[in-house]
Amino acid sequence: MSWFVIIYYTLLLGTSCLAAFFNKRQIFLVAFGLTLVSFILGIIGGPAALKAVAICAALLGLAAMVSYAFREFLIQIASDEMGKELRTAPMTAAFGMFVMFTYAVMGVFAPWIAPHGEAEVIASAFAPPDQNMLLGADQLGRDMFSRIIYGARNSVGLALAATIAAFVLGALAGLLAATKGGWFDQFMGRVADVIMSIPSLIFALLMLSIFGPHIHVIIIAVAVIYAPRVFRLTRAVAGNVVVMDYIEAAKLRGEGTWYLIRREILPNSTAPLVAEFGLEFCFVFLLVAGLSFLGLGIQPPTADWGSMVRENATLISFGDITPLIPAAAIALLTVGVNFVVDWMLHRSSGLKE
Amino acid sequence: MTNKKEVLLEIKDLEIQGYSDETWVDIIKGVDLTLHRGEVLGLIGESGAGKSTIGAAAMGYARDGTRISNGSIEFDGMELTTASESEKRALRGHRIAYVAQSAAASFNPSHKLIDQYSEAPLQYRLKKRTEAQEDAMELYEKLRLPNPQEIGFRYPHQVSGGQLQRAMTAMAMSCKPDLIIFDEPTTALDVTTQIEVLAAIRDIVDEYNTAAIYITHDLAVVAQMADTIKVLLKGEEVEEAPTKEMLDSPKEDYTKSLWAVRSFKRDQKERPKDGTPLISVRNVDASYTGGDKVLDDVSFDVYEGMTVAVVGESGSGKSTTARVITGLLPPSKGEVLFKGEPFPPDYRNRTKDQLRQCQMIYQMADTALNPKVKIAEIIGRPAQFYSGLSGAALKNRVDELLDLIELEPSKYYNRYPPELSGGQKQRIGIARALAAEPTFIVCDEVTSALDQLVAEGILKLLDRLQKELNLAYMFITHDLATVRSIADEVVVMQHGKVVEQGPKTKMFTPPHHPYTDLLLSSVPEMDPEWLTTLLEERGVDNVGDAATAQIDPNDPKISG
Repeated sequence: MSWFVIIYYTLLLGTSCLAAFFNKRQIFLVAFGLTLVSFILGIIGGPAALKAVAICAALLGLAAMVSYAFREFLIQIASDEMGKELRTAPMTAAFGMFVMFTYAVMGVFAPWIAPHGEAEVIASAFAPPDQNMLLGADQLGRDMFSRIIYGARNSVGLALAATIAAFVLGALAGLLAATKGGWFDQFMGRVADVIMSIPSLIFALLMLSIFGPHIHVIIIAVAVIYAPRVFRLTRAVAGNVVVMDYIEAAKLRGEGTWYLIRREILPNSTAPLVAEFGLEFCFVFLLVAGLSFLGLGIQPPTADWGSMVRENATLISFGDITPLIPAAAIALLTVGVNFVVDWMLHRSSGLKE
Repeated sequence: MTNKKEVLLEIKDLEIQGYSDETWVDIIKGVDLTLHRGEVLGLIGESGAGKSTIGAAAMGYARDGTRISNGSIEFDGMELTTASESEKRALRGHRIAYVAQSAAASFNPSHKLIDQYSEAPLQYRLKKRTEAQEDAMELYEKLRLPNPQEIGFRYPHQVSGGQLQRAMTAMAMSCKPDLIIFDEPTTALDVTTQIEVLAAIRDIVDEYNTAAIYITHDLAVVAQMADTIKVLLKGEEVEEAPTKEMLDSPKEDYTKSLWAVRSFKRDQKERPKDGTPLISVRNVDASYTGGDKVLDDVSFDVYEGMTVAVVGESGSGKSTTARVITGLLPPSKGEVLFKGEPFPPDYRNRTKDQLRQCQMIYQMADTALNPKVKIAEIIGRPAQFYSGLSGAALKNRVDELLDLIELEPSKYYNRYPPELSGGQKQRIGIARALAAEPTFIVCDEVTSALDQLVAEGILKLLDRLQKELNLAYMFITHDLATVRSIADEVVVMQHGKVVEQGPKTKMFTPPHHPYTDLLLSSVPEMDPEWLTTLLEERGVDNVGDAATAQIDPNDPKISG
């Protein structure tokens, strides 16, 4: 029996007993449950399994600590009003914000952070990690770590631009349809139906093969694909606002459509729209990554997480985790954004009196 | 008179806290309450006084975001504050029942009335389904619902509001509980329907010797129902006394002020001898798309600086008339004249100045003010829009308007509507209408969502503004007390037709049109014997819809 195993069980049992003594029911259940599970794991997997459990727990604890500290940091630097809102954020949302913050820093300062250039060949193909290359080299001998960092800029930037474009298009059309009503509403609704009836990936592939895989074509194609969803949501939300008496009062005052949309309807529909923005961003991000994976997205040598997965895909059959790293980067961002969106959704539904 | 009976519910030193702004705030600050078997206790007070919270606490229930922090609630020897959830659940519906304010919102729309009635007896295994249904029919008959054998098999949307409220009372009685809590059961009803519900509730409570807590803000109603009245103010008890004593000699100043509310009156103005009316509605017919006629040949005039009250039950076309005047609903026939000139029927075709002249104040201040816009902009926008003010001039104008509605400018300038109380919101709504400098304002049930004291303040404010700014009001209401206090002329509407109109004094002196008569006699008075006397005069079966139906179409007053 190694020292590790002894310390492992001592710690777990100690925590369980302390928790039980101080009547912390939840902590006790988790700690003692883990002890029982560890007995079985230890018998089946030996010390290695216990080590894996310990590492997972440590990682979780680390993530929790980082989230907590990051939330406190945000509360400190934000204004009083914002700070009050932030205090309501659960740990998961804080974690999501931290992930988004990290990616943003990575994207903005990519040339200064990355040790090597985006398209710079510095080693042989699929070279293993060493002091020079944190994550090894890709199929052309370029530094994987640097490409991941540049990829944050390209993939995230593109997805963000496409989502914003989809929102401007969809929200504007939705607000107009809700305020104007009548044939305009019907017309926009049918247009949205037509676009939504075409499978999104096939539509994107079609557009890209007609107009060529340029950045602006990708952005417009993705925006057109996702705008109808935004349109539907905005129209529904705005439809609830339009029937309120204050809108009638503004109409009777003689206000124009633009004023109605900007000052009366939009402030009352921001919460669900922001939440939807987060969700759509994830979908768009995955679509863009999917397009890159198929070879019609961002073109080489520009680093992009989707195409990086594809280019290194062969390595997976040799048991190497390199192709999974860009995939993990995508997954982490998606999860992080969703955490934040969940919090916002909760807030927007909870604020309703 | 009830002191000798057995104590059913005893609440001692009850304190309830609510969670807001991340702290627990006291809502109920130490209230005692004793209720004997068969006794009816009236709880009155303005909104926010904690009436409903106490009502819920009597069932051992704390609403979401509230908690019972101190005190004891003892129901028939059982302590509810420490009882487990399943023990409390066994009481509810069985021994304590609850009748909510809005029956329409409280019934499940997808089940038949009788199924909802028999839910509790079946749950507690008191009766078989068929027995429960027979029981229901018997109760429906006692509550004087039409077709008691058949009405239970309808869905909630197929019966009228007053009938639904009685069906709800029947549902509460289904297990013959010891205690029923009535939470404003008639507040949402018209005066004519209110009577039938009140009569039904009173009879049924008497017959089964049920104890009841009757929560309301209408003094005249509580005077009919309760043996004892307890007055609440901001979570504290003001005083408690038997009904008669309370009405005749209230002790506390606050209670006296509640009693005095209905005393506000002002002199009636006469129409100017000659001159054109400010607004003239001429033979207007109107209907919503594809529907039946909602307005049928409606004509009346509003003169400058005068108040015309439009009264009638809900569905009589009062609000539709307002929509025609403001241009939201173009009439299918007839026209609206402004100072003798025809007003374009659709508001979209009216000029800025025409729109400015005619403003509107809404019933629900909550939905009439944009919750995400600051007070300064809500009030400032019309001034900016119509008069082109900006910068310091605009700020001065907003300050002036806030002064005018008796709110301190510096305090309210940067706040948002949800932070204000109901009365303050309504004042902001008035300020918004005034900001346009209109000559005519449509007031759509402006006081019906407010407590009597607050409503009184609003009426006084409107009256003062009328004197200062020479405004004309069209005052839509179903509350005749409001009409008495503020109107110069009265228009009575029924089924989209004007049945009678004239100066107020003439309208309130007989002979009346039979419908006016019915409306007038249905308004509860402060006399505790009023309901009894009225029912004796009219006969028990001749209230509510029945009374409306009995109006003789050949009555000379109708044609004349």
